[in-house]
Amino acid sequence: MLFRPYALLTELTYRCPLHCPYCSNPVSSSAGNELCASEWCRVIREAAALGVLQLGFSGGEPLLRSDLTDLIIEARGAGLYTNLITSGVGLDERRARELREAGLDSVQLSFQAEEAGLADAIAGARAHGRKIQAANACRTAGLPLSINTVLHRANIDRLSAIIEFAESLHAERLELANVQYYGWGFLNRRSLLPTREQVQRAYEIGVAARERLRGRMEVFYVLPDYYEQRPKPCLHGWGRRYLAVNPVGDVLPCPTASAIPGLHFDNVRNRSLAWIWSNSDSFNRFRGTEWMPEPCRSCPERERDFGGCRCQAALFTGDAANTDPVCTLSPHRPLIDAELEEVRTTSVHAPGLNWRYRENPVHR
Amino acid sequence: MSPNLDLSAQPALAKRVRLQSDPVSGDPVLLYPEGLLILNETAHAIVRRCNGLATIVDILGQLADEYGAEVDELRPDVLECLHDLHQRQLVTF
Repeated sequence: MLFRPYALLTELTYRCPLHCPYCSNPVSSSAGNELCASEWCRVIREAAALGVLQLGFSGGEPLLRSDLTDLIIEARGAGLYTNLITSGVGLDERRARELREAGLDSVQLSFQAEEAGLADAIAGARAHGRKIQAANACRTAGLPLSINTVLHRANIDRLSAIIEFAESLHAERLELANVQYYGWGFLNRRSLLPTREQVQRAYEIGVAARERLRGRMEVFYVLPDYYEQRPKPCLHGWGRRYLAVNPVGDVLPCPTASAIPGLHFDNVRNRSLAWIWSNSDSFNRFRGTEWMPEPCRSCPERERDFGGCRCQAALFTGDAANTDPVCTLSPHRPLIDAELEEVRTTSVHAPGLNWRYRENPVHR
Repeated sequence: MSPNLDLSAQPALAKRVRLQSDPVSGDPVLLYPEGLLILNETAHAIVRRCNGLATIVDILGQLADEYGAEVDELRPDVLECLHDLHQRQLVTF
């Protein structure tokens, strides 16, 4: 096998108590039909057999699954490192202790801002206070805690206060990731994208905090790629190291890949994970470098960034096989520049006035 | 030149980091939320001893015994390795 998956992201449900306008979940998804615990356990065992070492539990809100503890036990039994990516809503001391005892290795807890008013306005839910309780519950239970804050126009200028807040919660790690514009985030990009000056200031604050806090709290800063010259090496290349399974069992090379038109995804209810990894059309479509058009095909950097992100190419150009338009060598780069120009020339940056909140899956 | 570390420090794996062996290759590997690091034999011998109790001096002594080498010979590589793991925030002092 040429490529080996090291990490599996399990999206246990698309249901979520939060309604963040930057959510990368699909804008349209159906409720129900979620994989049951025994199906997830099979997926976990098959993933371990394929070589996966790391398992992320995500969603939606994975705590909404009452069988989460059983899945953690299964994963630890299979030798996997387990990481819970959560809003914290529903993570009280009893649940935190239960998850820890099941073998959970790490918790990544989101905060929308450092103070309740703004944080709850961004989340579209009264959640900030419960998140603080969740952080404390993790500490009491001995669960290593990372705090993830997604940065955008409405909170990026408060970065120093956000960093202090994470310190006060005794997080081991703070991930400050600018919005990645997929799903609801793409829909709301013009309300969310910060200006170049905002991004630059935040970057400097992030770098300084990283040095100041080294050894106490790891600070990790992710730039918004629209302001970059070259695309991100998305997932270290399509179908090379990573796979995701969505709530209904579709296996995806990337969690946002369902936005790519014309791509068919195989399902764990019909096929083994090993078959899908090796043989499915969706995983093979953009593997390696053969599929690349120019300017990627002859580019010396093609093994470094793998042509960037297929989903971003699809969102902007309608064709996932194009070079990621973030790349300044892409003929589609003007599409990104138009977004930046839109942000630069919008004089009013009042947060949240015109974004559309994420909605939960609907019954059809 | 080897990095300037306090030799009385007691290195430990960061709380979120787990050391285990890769069932596919048998290689020792450090796992943490955002990634993994495959260890070579030297790094593994060092990391195994990072238990928060042994000092760097202790670790050097143990490695010298195990490999039948002089501490002076081992010191640059060991300090380099610990410095690197500390920079990656996988080991705390």
